Amino acid sequence: MKKRWFLFFFRKSVAQRRGRVAIASAAVTLAVALMTAMIGVTVGIREKLGSELKAYGANIIVSPLREGDFAYDALAMIAKLPSVEDATGQVLGNTFVDQQAIEVIGIDAKKISSMGWRIFGKWPEGNDEILAGINLKAALRLQEGQRIFVEKDGTKKELVISGFVEKGGAEDRALIMTIRQAWTVTGTEGRLQSILVRGKSGQLETIGAAIRSALDNAAVKTVRQVALAEESLLGKIQLLMMLVTLVVIFASAISVTSTMGANVLERREEIGLMKALGATRRNISLFYMAEAVLIGIIGGLAGYALGFLSAQAISKGAFNSYIGIPLPIPLAALCMGVIVAIGSSYFPVRGAMKYDPAIILRGE
Amino acid sequence: MAFIELKGIIKEYKTTHALRGIDVTIEKGQWLNMVGPSGSGKSTLLNIIGSLDSPTAGEVLIDGRDISRLSEDDMAVFRREKIGFIFQQSHLIPYLSAVENVMLAQYFHSMSDEKEATDALVRVGLEHRLGHRPSQLSGGEQQRVCIARALINSPQILLADEPTGNLDRENTKIILELLKKIHAEEQFTIVLVTHDPFVAQWGQRILTMEDGKIKCDEFLCRL
Repeated sequence: MKKRWFLFFFRKSVAQRRGRVAIASAAVTLAVALMTAMIGVTVGIREKLGSELKAYGANIIVSPLREGDFAYDALAMIAKLPSVEDATGQVLGNTFVDQQAIEVIGIDAKKISSMGWRIFGKWPEGNDEILAGINLKAALRLQEGQRIFVEKDGTKKELVISGFVEKGGAEDRALIMTIRQAWTVTGTEGRLQSILVRGKSGQLETIGAAIRSALDNAAVKTVRQVALAEESLLGKIQLLMMLVTLVVIFASAISVTSTMGANVLERREEIGLMKALGATRRNISLFYMAEAVLIGIIGGLAGYALGFLSAQAISKGAFNSYIGIPLPIPLAALCMGVIVAIGSSYFPVRGAMKYDPAIILRGE
Repeated sequence: MAFIELKGIIKEYKTTHALRGIDVTIEKGQWLNMVGPSGSGKSTLLNIIGSLDSPTAGEVLIDGRDISRLSEDDMAVFRREKIGFIFQQSHLIPYLSAVENVMLAQYFHSMSDEKEATDALVRVGLEHRLGHRPSQLSGGEQQRVCIARALINSPQILLADEPTGNLDRENTKIILELLKKIHAEEQFTIVLVTHDPFVAQWGQRILTMEDGKIKCDEFLCRL
């Protein structure tokens, strides 16, 4: 019942000061929007940059030290190592098409569509569908959907070209298929010629050492350029975003403080009267803090919405795709809005508590 | 035992002596008017009785309890339980209606009750102004809302600081008649500060102050 009347008087008070509440909420909105956009874009960039860089290759390449290959089990063992995000095996060999030797690259069927390659045609679907490098299209006069016969050591297999790959590397002059298909057409059942590892940035040396100690014949190469570029770029972006966010939060806090300060000053007489009517410091601060919480909630929600839209717009412009913002971000945005509003209201409200009703009510 | 007992009250500000040793007792239900020139200390004494201010030295006993050394929050609780205030300026909340202004005093005391607040305004003759905001009321009507607000929680003491200071003679009379009627019905104690000799005659006792001291203490028999 008491709560009901608190809300009644609170609503009346806020309605009277809609303008000030709107200004303070707008300041919080700005800070929260920027924070949301920054976090969203940072997370998005990390994701997108990762997948863009993935297109250039993994950041660790494991190949046999001497002539030879790895058993397929080595792949599972590497994938389980700490800080390894992804690992995939490759079958590298050759086969013959129309008595002409053609390179074969066998990769994990599940990863084939997530390599970030540019494909003309469609991704392979059935057991007999494969991709061909764009250079082979002209050399072998291939067409999308065309059937070809590959032959190795007297074994013939019929395959269908579902599309062509253009990557600017060895893939452009090879037949690309699943590991199982590659084993069949190259006659290397159960063996891998290379393992590509994607490790966490900053942990590549550790991962390399772990692979070397686990596999006797492994030569581990870290693709430093890729890894360093990724780490350095992300670090700089994050630092810049953090600094800008801090500056805006500070500016927003000053704006809320001055708005609340003006609010308190404007309501000096009201505070004096409330004190004369028997309101304790807690009673009075409750009204102001509730107003701060309201400002925080409005600013937090509006800021999240604005920040989300901004992050999507930035991502669309930079990566031509939208980003997913992690679930805890809306809650964090709301909390941050409330914290900024309450923190900024602390000093003005503390000042209000010190008003002497005897002096105020005399009109001095 | 006197209901209000002030013993050796001294109030000093940085460079001024507002009260220089006040000793006075006020019986329960008495209507006492304080008069004196500006700066004589009458409003300061009123604020000390009303626990809006604390004395530099001395004791303020109200119903046997010394309130001179209470904490700020304890003073607030004491005010809400025992005291009703009327000020020269009405100090009504501008965005609340007449009845809501009365209900705000109920809210800080215990619980707002619209019916009780309405009855209080009917009692001061404002049944036709319940939903009006202060800016829509005349000065006299605003002071009547203040009387309703001051008395809604049935205080034992009504403190009025120049309650008719901004009113013309006709409205002053209306307010004083109203106070007289309600005081006769409820017998609470009234301490009223005024510089108007006409108003000063409307009590049972006149305390004249000058330069922080009691100059004259005169008992009337008007009520």
